[in-house]
Amino acid sequence: MTTVADALTGADASTAAEPAPERAGRPALNKVSVRDLKFFYGDTLAIKGVSLNLEANRVTAFIGPSGCGKSTLLRVLNRMYDLYPRQRAEGEVLLDGQNILDPAMDLNLLRARIGMVFQKPTPFPMSIYENIAFGIRLYEKLPKSELDGRVEKALQGAALWNEVKDKLSASGLSLSGGQQQRLCIARTVALKPDVILLDEPCSALDPISTARVEELIDELKGQYTIAIVTHNMQQAARCSDYTAFMYLGELIEFGDTQRMFTSPTQKQTQQYITGRFG
Amino acid sequence: MATFSKARRANNAVFLGLSVGAAGLGLLALVFILVALLWNGLAGLRPSVFTEMTPPPGAAGGLLNAIYGSVVMTLLGLAIGAPIGLLAGTYMAEHGRYSKLTVVVRFLNDILLSAPSIIIGLFVYEVVVTRIGHFSGIAGALALAILVIPVVARTTEDMLLLVPNQLREAASAMGLPRSHVVLKVAYSAARPGIITGLLLAFARISGETAPLLFTALNNQFWNADITGPTASLPTVIFQFALSPYKDWQQLAWTGALIITATVLILSIAARSLGSTRTAK
Repeated sequence: MTTVADALTGADASTAAEPAPERAGRPALNKVSVRDLKFFYGDTLAIKGVSLNLEANRVTAFIGPSGCGKSTLLRVLNRMYDLYPRQRAEGEVLLDGQNILDPAMDLNLLRARIGMVFQKPTPFPMSIYENIAFGIRLYEKLPKSELDGRVEKALQGAALWNEVKDKLSASGLSLSGGQQQRLCIARTVALKPDVILLDEPCSALDPISTARVEELIDELKGQYTIAIVTHNMQQAARCSDYTAFMYLGELIEFGDTQRMFTSPTQKQTQQYITGRFG
Repeated sequence: MATFSKARRANNAVFLGLSVGAAGLGLLALVFILVALLWNGLAGLRPSVFTEMTPPPGAAGGLLNAIYGSVVMTLLGLAIGAPIGLLAGTYMAEHGRYSKLTVVVRFLNDILLSAPSIIIGLFVYEVVVTRIGHFSGIAGALALAILVIPVVARTTEDMLLLVPNQLREAASAMGLPRSHVVLKVAYSAARPGIITGLLLAFARISGETAPLLFTALNNQFWNADITGPTASLPTVIFQFALSPYKDWQQLAWTGALIITATVLILSIAARSLGSTRTAK
């Protein structure tokens, strides 16, 4: 177990921000520790040495203007970038103490442990039931009745069960945008990951669906460690415990969400969250 | 202002007229062909066409040996060519999307795609027929298979490239191995397009004559053994249509109608099959 103090001493001194947020009176369990992470698209340095910790069972929000590297950072955490040529990461990302940037890392197992939900809902072209069941089947051999139970539980977990229980064999593509996004969350939750990464999960949704997803995030953090990238400052303020503000590939400030939004220590952070940036 | 919009409206009318006219002209040609085909083909469509062999001039007969040869060689050609094309297309779009080999394969595939089919026939003639020493249905099927590969490879690649990358990312993000991402997600998203590609290939080879003339040749008699010269509808049509005999010409028309109808029925069937599967 890593404590805040450990993280503080282990962090790279070059970052201006404090590497781990303070939360008085409670030792923090860091699920994911990012140490001096650098990321390259070809020869372009997109993340310039970022260190921070994702605390277990907490929601950490990443905010910052477009191109600041927040989505890139998220895509390092499940090594999504590995799908593409000429993209590489340097530094360390520890998941429960294990460096996931290790080339020997089993990516499929890693990605089953670190789920991801994308900006655009991405239901697979198959039935609602299959959308969830086929990921489970890959990792566990379950009898039909148990699989049914898991699918139901996942859909309930994503607050979608009541809307789809009578049409589980309908195509996942037949759902509305908000429902599709919750289906994607259900699909992710069904695999029982440790960490859930949300890459602007509400940017394609209407306000009602957004509220649903935010409620969901709040419920899910009881069991999962959550990282969310968002362009919506209110959303970060509403549903996260910690906020990281990034700009031009650097971590400018990282800390308790309430404190970040009320009394940011960095001038850039203040300007960004009040909408006066650039 | 008014004159400007008048000129624009006139322009619009002219170009709309031209494009509608062009579309009409194209359709008209198609309608003429189909009407002529139905008119002349139906006249000779009797049960005996499907039960009797190609006759000598002046005698009664059918097209059974040609239909059999065509079915066997077309299916065999598809069976050999389609898997190779599918796998090549999958490699180019999925596994080797960023590799240099893909650029080379795509370029060569495009050349093969536009190569005149008579060259494919000559190639198989040189490589297979002259080595074995005689014409055969197998050589014909091989020539057809070579025609199938580039069509299927190209459409498979194109259709897989149309599948949004987000879908692949989403599948990979669940920890699915690459093979599952391709087989379960990318293929099912691209299925209607891939089926269309297979149909295109089928339609193309079912009417090919030139490559068969050099490989399967033809056969006036019943021959179920495809290691020997094999009749086929296109070559029989070619031979009979050019003949001076009225009854042979009639059979050629009927044969052409059979090919067209088969391609049409198969496309409709496969399309409705593909769309109901995805709509589910």
